[in-house]
Amino acid sequence: MNNATKGGTKLGNRVGINITPPEHILEEFPQESSYDVVVVGGGPNGLITAAYLAKAGLSVIVVERRHEIGGGLATEETLFPGFYTNPHAIYHMMVDYMPLFRDFDLAKHGLSFVKPNAQMAMVFSDSCHLLLCNQPEDTKDSIAKFSPQDARAFGKIIRKWRTLVDELIAPGTYVPPLEPIDMIEAFERTPLGREVLRLSEMSPREIIFESFENDRVRAAMLYAACMWGLNPNDTGLGFLVPLLIDRAMNKAQCYGGSHKLAGALSRVIHASGGVVLDQAEVTRIILHDGVVSGVECFDGRIINAKVVVSSLPPPLTFGTLMAGNDDVISSDGQGSTLTAGIPAALQETAHHWEWDGWSFFTLAVVTKEPPRYNTDDSWINDAFMVVMGFDSTDELLSRWNGVLAGDAYSVPLGGHSSVETRYDPTLVRIGGHAVSFLQVHVPYEIEGGWDLKKDDFGTKLLETWRRYAPNLDDDNIVMTSSETPLDIETRIATMVRGSIKHGEYNPLQMGVFRPSDTCVGGCTPIEGLYLCGASSYPGGLVIGGPGYIAANSIAEDLGIEKWWSTPDYIAHYKDTYLS
Amino acid sequence: MEQEHFDVVIIGGGHNGSTLAAYLAKSGVSVCILEARSECGGGQENTEVRPGFKIDPHATFLYGGAAPGFDQLELFKYGMRMVWYSSMAGLVTLDGMAVNLGGRFTAGLAEESIEKYAPGVSTAEVGNIFTALGEAHMRELLRALFWTPPYPLDVEVDLRDMPWWQVFRKYLPGFWTEELVDMSYIDFLEAMVTWEPLRVVAAFGAWYCGAHPAWDGMLLPSLGGTLLYSYSSGSPRGGMHTYAHAIIRCALAHGARIITNAPVEEIIVKNGRAVGVRLSDDAVLPEKTIWADKAVVSGVDVKQTFLRLVGKKHLDVSFVQKVGDVSLKGGSLFVMHVICRDLPNYHGMKEPFDKTVYPATIIAPADSMDFFWTQTQDAYSHKIPPAPTPEHLTMMICNHDLYDPTRSPEGYHLLSPIYIEVPPPQYDVTGPEGINRHKSEITKAALNLLGELAPNMKGDNIVDVFVNTPYDSEFRNAGMSGGNWYGARQSEDQWFSRRPLPELSRYRTPIDRLYLCNHTSHPGGLCLMAVPYNLMHILIEDGIAEPGSWWYPSDWWLSEGDSPKVEVK
Repeated sequence: MNNATKGGTKLGNRVGINITPPEHILEEFPQESSYDVVVVGGGPNGLITAAYLAKAGLSVIVVERRHEIGGGLATEETLFPGFYTNPHAIYHMMVDYMPLFRDFDLAKHGLSFVKPNAQMAMVFSDSCHLLLCNQPEDTKDSIAKFSPQDARAFGKIIRKWRTLVDELIAPGTYVPPLEPIDMIEAFERTPLGREVLRLSEMSPREIIFESFENDRVRAAMLYAACMWGLNPNDTGLGFLVPLLIDRAMNKAQCYGGSHKLAGALSRVIHASGGVVLDQAEVTRIILHDGVVSGVECFDGRIINAKVVVSSLPPPLTFGTLMAGNDDVISSDGQGSTLTAGIPAALQETAHHWEWDGWSFFTLAVVTKEPPRYNTDDSWINDAFMVVMGFDSTDELLSRWNGVLAGDAYSVPLGGHSSVETRYDPTLVRIGGHAVSFLQVHVPYEIEGGWDLKKDDFGTKLLETWRRYAPNLDDDNIVMTSSETPLDIETRIATMVRGSIKHGEYNPLQMGVFRPSDTCVGGCTPIEGLYLCGASSYPGGLVIGGPGYIAANSIAEDLGIEKWWSTPDYIAHYKDTYLS
Repeated sequence: MEQEHFDVVIIGGGHNGSTLAAYLAKSGVSVCILEARSECGGGQENTEVRPGFKIDPHATFLYGGAAPGFDQLELFKYGMRMVWYSSMAGLVTLDGMAVNLGGRFTAGLAEESIEKYAPGVSTAEVGNIFTALGEAHMRELLRALFWTPPYPLDVEVDLRDMPWWQVFRKYLPGFWTEELVDMSYIDFLEAMVTWEPLRVVAAFGAWYCGAHPAWDGMLLPSLGGTLLYSYSSGSPRGGMHTYAHAIIRCALAHGARIITNAPVEEIIVKNGRAVGVRLSDDAVLPEKTIWADKAVVSGVDVKQTFLRLVGKKHLDVSFVQKVGDVSLKGGSLFVMHVICRDLPNYHGMKEPFDKTVYPATIIAPADSMDFFWTQTQDAYSHKIPPAPTPEHLTMMICNHDLYDPTRSPEGYHLLSPIYIEVPPPQYDVTGPEGINRHKSEITKAALNLLGELAPNMKGDNIVDVFVNTPYDSEFRNAGMSGGNWYGARQSEDQWFSRRPLPELSRYRTPIDRLYLCNHTSHPGGLCLMAVPYNLMHILIEDGIAEPGSWWYPSDWWLSEGDSPKVEVK
């Protein structure tokens, strides 16, 4: 929030200048306007909700704080000048399932995904490697080098898990969640459902250890299952393991950069008469007598709407943005304030919201030639993702436990890397150069602060990377750039404490409890207020669930005829488990 | 594979290409933009190079406030918002002056500020033509200069009857003399301005606004660039890309298709007529040939359009030679972006610049016209990167974040862009990459100079520095030949009915149904929506577009065969 807003002048500048230009110069977006629906935040989910509703004939405006919409769908020139990266979403895991790809013809706007066969490699310090491919037989061939038994086991397990994802987990992503007791009752109906319930009681580590015997195979699978923030040792969310492992072999890269998906959705919104207003941070959701009536932007602009859809996490939606309507009654110590007139359950949710347990540090490099890994098989250099730094499950768990305990430097240092230009040459403006990154898990806080530790940590990371890819020498490197958890939060303000998923995945913040069991299906107890962000069920990682679910709920509440139909695989899931 | 057909295919979604798409789409024409990069907007860019800091690698102020496009395209509906600035210019000298020259919203500030250093400098000198013309007439003058399609080739017109001189005579009869039409802006400044620093600011100001002030016969177009700057006195909220967004969204809302990551490799010519384009094999669409049933419009510069996309096989050798000789001398810029904790405390300030009227640009050092001539020699005569001494490095330092906090986080300031004029890379006698070999040396020297002008600009106060040379800009930004913000020299030989060549000045080309829509056509760069507005007249004349009642032509528009209007003798 800037000074002018804090001072109450709301002129949108730091020094209180108020110039009224002659009318004939040019007309600006009005100081006050009215729409059917205002979507707060133009990330993937906000855009999805807006696209469905705009095409349904509602007048929709998306209001975004940044200069570009997309949130995590960002493609930015972080290596200036001339080299672009996808600093957030790059591994698109749900392209096969997201209903929006069936409902909108985004290909005509130049949207295309590349899904390579060589999906995820894990390289070990002795130059051995394991390669997980989209085609299971290729994966089995690679696993067989370590354990013929695990190779056979993988073949059976992945068949089962793919069915389980197809029939339950993926369709469940796009349907409002059930109360736990109803879910048990529903899933008890089929053997697959019962397997989901069984896995839910196990920790990721237990599931992986039960499934595979070789420690390196286990390490690779554990990385795939937990890299996005499942705690390896916690029970309750085991049903996500089949999804995350299956999807680890089904990642796709958005050609031209992840931002293209945001651009394609915005094309739908504009073609349907919707508006996107960027550089327009919302500072208040306006309530009148407990009913939502619109939003106010940092520069004092008012946008009236009967429906406000927030894609922001609960402490921002129910705290910061609601403050200023009534008496502020408390502060949660994190800069959020809570307001009278907000239902107690929502205040609770905002107060007790747990941000992601860890964040990321990313070192991006421009090189004359891409990293070449020390391995016995050139397929590794084609892998979409290469994991390095860990030779065993013990090493991996040691690193993660260290990070969760707050130690960024805990050993062994390791993470995942991609050569972004391998499958998307458009990211460079000088032919022949490559853009790559190495990303590792780190805590949000570091002693001394990330600003001071950034260079040192980046250097350590480069040392690690060089051990596995010796050609990353000084002659090869043209430019580097690092992003810390603090940078994540600065770029994208909803990722508080570097929380890329807007809040931890733990049993109390998942399923019907994401963000609260009073907000199922994106509806809230406050009239006119809906939620559609990654802090809503089913969660983040550009899976598009919250946005789709909110669009459906709003259409139903407003009595709008849905122009879209439920995809067969979701209808089948509903018939089997929800009827 | 299904064949893609559009009425009009536009190559390049830079400022001009996307504005034309908006005009055509609003006219009901089926139109498609094919853009090589992942984002449209061309030079209207904002880049968050460091989290929280949004720099302008190219364009930085709104020059186009007088454009008919704002109301014809109703850009306000698509999010167009401005930040208006209370002071647009200041100057700082090595010998200790720091002068606030104010802006159109702060009358009297300049006189007051100059009085401290140069008592007795006439207010007429400062008040300038802008005041004399007044608000309403300014728009008329600017539209005559920039939003007027060049006259047909066979029209004979006296220089003094060019539209802009007619407007000038109409409102400033007292200033008018015959000699003005042959003058350069420098000639005029020498006649009108006695105080050296003010001359330096005016001269550099004109240069940074596109036309070098020493070019003969170009007094009014050259002055016109700076008038465009003062007329709008501000920047779009968050930077120029918001303005691009408004244009692009207008185009989309009216049904335009915009495909990014779709570089065009060839304009397909059949029987002398442009019928479509072929995309590069890496382009995102499955079908690499896109057909244009009515026209192909090149939003790419004149050289790439003919020498690369059309190809010599369709062109006359003498025409090819002329295209190759179109001069790129204009505004090739070495651009720096400096992140600091405290604003520069220019040593000469008797008191710091008041933050409520902080100069949006500062020309420094503005000591002597010798600096101006030295830099002109470097850029155009010797064609070498500037030597690392103050007389070679006068900068235009832009300061946005006091006015617009979206550009940098609290506790920091962003001096972006800082422009230094350098030779076009293509002409650099040390080679096109020559400027990049001197990049760190020039950056260091410019920072030292900044430290000399403002002693606090060193050490911990400087947090980060980013640089794009014209060479960098050219490879980043496919249409920006020479890294030049004006595309091609805006001299009399390349202005109005001669820009970029006489036979191309009406935006038509030797290839039937191929039109030009790039800043290498009249009236040049600065994101004015002017090239597409002017081109629309031609497309209407050729039956390609039929806009609705929202359209109005230029007051000075001449159809083929018409005679020029001479209303003010």
